[in-house]
Amino acid sequence: MPQFFLNKRLILLLVSIIILVALIGFSLREREKVSWPEQFLSDTIGFVQNVFHKPVTSVAGFFENLIDLQHTYDENRKLKERLDEYVTLKTQVQGLENENKELREILGKKDDLREYSPIQATVIGRNPDRWHEIITINRGTNQGVKKNMGVITSRGLIGKVKNAKPFTSTVQLLSSKDPKNRISAVIQGQKEIYGVIEGYDQKRKLLLLKRIPYNEKIKIGSEVATSGIGGVFPESLAIGTVEEVITDQYGLNQTAYVKPVADFYDIDNVMVVERLTPSVDEMDESFSNQEGDETP
Amino acid sequence: MSKFILPLVALLFFISESLFVTLFSGELYNSEQIFVPRFIMVFLVFLTIYGSRKMGVIYGFILGLLFDAVYTEILGIYMFLFPILCYLISKAMKVLQTNLFIVLIVSVLFIALLEVAIFEVNVILHFAEMSFSEFVEVRLLPTLILNLAFTILAAFPLKLQMEKFELETRED
Repeated sequence: MPQFFLNKRLILLLVSIIILVALIGFSLREREKVSWPEQFLSDTIGFVQNVFHKPVTSVAGFFENLIDLQHTYDENRKLKERLDEYVTLKTQVQGLENENKELREILGKKDDLREYSPIQATVIGRNPDRWHEIITINRGTNQGVKKNMGVITSRGLIGKVKNAKPFTSTVQLLSSKDPKNRISAVIQGQKEIYGVIEGYDQKRKLLLLKRIPYNEKIKIGSEVATSGIGGVFPESLAIGTVEEVITDQYGLNQTAYVKPVADFYDIDNVMVVERLTPSVDEMDESFSNQEGDETP
Repeated sequence: MSKFILPLVALLFFISESLFVTLFSGELYNSEQIFVPRFIMVFLVFLTIYGSRKMGVIYGFILGLLFDAVYTEILGIYMFLFPILCYLISKAMKVLQTNLFIVLIVSVLFIALLEVAIFEVNVILHFAEMSFSEFVEVRLLPTLILNLAFTILAAFPLKLQMEKFELETRED
């Protein structure tokens, strides 16, 4: 037995395993802020990434443009067809917006869950081991980014801010497999049906919209957007369209497979959205508690 | 001046992984297979074999710490795995001959070891819900092919660089 303790390497290994477990536990718990050494490391590397990213992507972008040129003719024809639709849609939206404004004024309601102010950012890195789908963007707390803010591309929602550091932030994509990665969503239609985006089917490349009441009828192809009741996200950021609906294991809930509108792979420029209506913390807490109760 | 070359090369390898993923994500990643670049591991294999064990372990520790802090945001996993693997490489090389072909095989073998270890950790932490056979098919094999190709391309320049570095440290 004493010989066992004299083996220096073995002791070193055991000690490092203990430190490993402690560190993993430390970083997995819910934390408001990352520790300053981590902040310092990420920001320094972020600076270097920033330097490298610009030239490399512009070269790659040039070749991509060349490939895109081949499809220009087809695309142009399709877009022209769409243009007529667009004009009518635009007048409609204008009318609705005005009406909405007037009605709001009559009601005296100022807060709007839909309103947000965007922070423009560029993607400077992505996690190479693809277990955690995390991208790094070049904006941080100094530019107003905060933890849990929504992140969108021009097409729709892609994820939320996981951690914000002074000059860079990490964004967890919707496709990331993390039990904590949940977003309250709504299926738009005649009647609004609420659910929670939770999980991603890697094989089919579809998001899972869970916890829809079993008696709701969902039309395939209806639009899914953020509901704004989760506390941090603004309302109606596009998420995707319903592709398939199945009943859960015990028949109490339904799960919808949602085809995301945004591309989780080819991301270059993103916007971090800050909701203008402040969230009520107590309301927030009770909502997350409710959610917690539902999980088995 | 030459003192700074090795850390710079290490940093370059570190950043190249994330650059590779951002650049080729559109093309490579829409397929069902997942290709994970493990260029840092390739660098560490060459450093340990053609440089020294001590260097390999130290660089493994630093690069692992950076990887954890910057990319995965879960501290400890890579910081622990990289030095251990470097140590094992140096043990393995005491038995094996050091020629380029053997080094290729060793690097592929240790990348596979790293992948499997990371997979197991993620299963334990509930970040992965894959069976092992699915993991081998979807992740491990494509990753090994990608990294083998990279190793073949990078082997000769890396070897030269490391040997030069080793000579310099001996002269000091």
